[in-house]
Amino acid sequence: DSHIQYERVGADVTMKCGSMDWDAAVTWTANGTDIDESHLNGSYLILKNVDLSQSGQYSCYEGSSWHLKYQTNLRVGTPPKEPVLMCRSNNYPKGFYCSWHLPTPTYIPNTFNISVVHGTKDMVCEKDAVPKNRCHIRYIQLFSTVKYKVTLTVTNALGKNFTTLTFDEFAIVKPDPPESVVAKPVPNNPRRLEVSWQNPSSWPEPESFPLKFFLRYRPLILDQWQHVELSDGTSHTITDAYAGKEYIIQVAAKDNDIGTWSDWSVAVHATPWTEEPKHLTTEAQITETTSASTSSFMAPPTTKICDKGAVVGSGAVAVCWTAGLVVAAYSVLFI
Amino acid sequence: SPTGDSWGIFTFLCAALCNLPALPALNCSEELGAGQSIQQTYDLTRYLEHQLRTLAGTYLNYLGPPFNEPDFNPPRLARAERVPSATVDLDLWRGLTDNARLAANYRAYSRLLCYLRVLDGQVGMAELRHRLAHFCASLQGLVLSIGGVMSSLGYPLPAGPAAPPAPPGAPAAPNDFLKKMDDFWLLKELQTWLWRSAKDFNRLKKKVPPAVVTLRLEARGF
Repeated sequence: DSHIQYERVGADVTMKCGSMDWDAAVTWTANGTDIDESHLNGSYLILKNVDLSQSGQYSCYEGSSWHLKYQTNLRVGTPPKEPVLMCRSNNYPKGFYCSWHLPTPTYIPNTFNISVVHGTKDMVCEKDAVPKNRCHIRYIQLFSTVKYKVTLTVTNALGKNFTTLTFDEFAIVKPDPPESVVAKPVPNNPRRLEVSWQNPSSWPEPESFPLKFFLRYRPLILDQWQHVELSDGTSHTITDAYAGKEYIIQVAAKDNDIGTWSDWSVAVHATPWTEEPKHLTTEAQITETTSASTSSFMAPPTTKICDKGAVVGSGAVAVCWTAGLVVAAYSVLFI
Repeated sequence: SPTGDSWGIFTFLCAALCNLPALPALNCSEELGAGQSIQQTYDLTRYLEHQLRTLAGTYLNYLGPPFNEPDFNPPRLARAERVPSATVDLDLWRGLTDNARLAANYRAYSRLLCYLRVLDGQVGMAELRHRLAHFCASLQGLVLSIGGVMSSLGYPLPAGPAAPPAPPGAPAAPNDFLKKMDDFWLLKELQTWLWRSAKDFNRLKKKVPPAVVTLRLEARGF
């Protein structure tokens, strides 16, 4: 009958052919392939310093009758390393969730056991169906001064390991990033971008537990971000965008009073409104309305604006150089 | 408890100190007017929470290890139950009436202020005493601010901290370690109360109609 055998990577494995005597004549196969006699010690199969590739089904047949005498499924793996555990409240004040994983695979099945203790009380962390390796707890009490202690134990056939996390209710509050971030140009305003977003849907009570937001934006061509912190509202108008430049914008959220900032939202791109090209004059400055491109009829890809090829006429070149100097001046200011 | 009760001493001293006139440091009467704003009270809790972070760090260092270790997580002894705890059943907290919500805050900070004043009286370091005194003054401002909101909404102010009878016989010297534990929990509850108050006042902001309460948004030197 079939049988599973777990062994550590690097171990020496001796397989006996069931109840056969040591000096019986047998043939061993690995996944159907005959094993060379050099690996045998009598009727015992010796595998030295096993590695992952040696996992598989091993069968032992009596020499002459070719009867199957023994079969085992060898699984080579490792005992678990200390698991990585993380707990977070993205739905304050409803509760929190914990999720975990192993830093390196064991190649054999593992079971996880999680326990949550709040002072002297044991709490049940309900496992989520999806994603796996995650469980959630509902708060019964709020504003607790007693810490939560979460212990995660991981066990497999070759060993066990564990890790604990101890934290205060407030320390793990971290919302999900804002959703549906949208950035649009504002008609007839070449330096403005209108950004709007929504509270993360996982945050259950934004009226009683308001969020504040952090917006960051920069033109694609520069590395330095600009930041705005907003204590209420889910929209903001950027008023100092460089005309004609494509911007990248992100928003983060935080409970007004406790916890930490969320991760940055998905980045959105937007370019401020630009006027249809007219005649260029040498007085035109980068802060004024007209963009520097001349001959094309489509909205200019802004990073190429000062390409020599795209520009026609000495007036346009003068504007281009000014643009470059102003951008350089701004960059120096930000350093 | 038979071995002498430092909390008994605390509460006795509290009763004495709390019957003193308000600290002269805070000249409140002109600044608090009718219709004390909820927004202002909210801002005060944020200011105090911020102040407390540095103050608590300094004080715990003054107490020394293990109190100043970040993962110090002692079991909560029964004696610590005297300090008003912010912990509350979630559904109960949600369902609090405005009056109950404000009263809970008022009572808690009145008592916490008392305990803090006793603490201040016992600290050996002058610099720390000075900072504690300043914090107490600000905390008193918070109590008055909450009281002002309650009055403007027509709610009666809760009675001040009751004076318990003096402990019978000579009070035994408290165990030094247990006294430090008391201080630790006092600071912890104070910090938690300030976090809770921010949430309490958020809810009040939304529920109390703006016509009743004047909103004053100017910073007050915070």
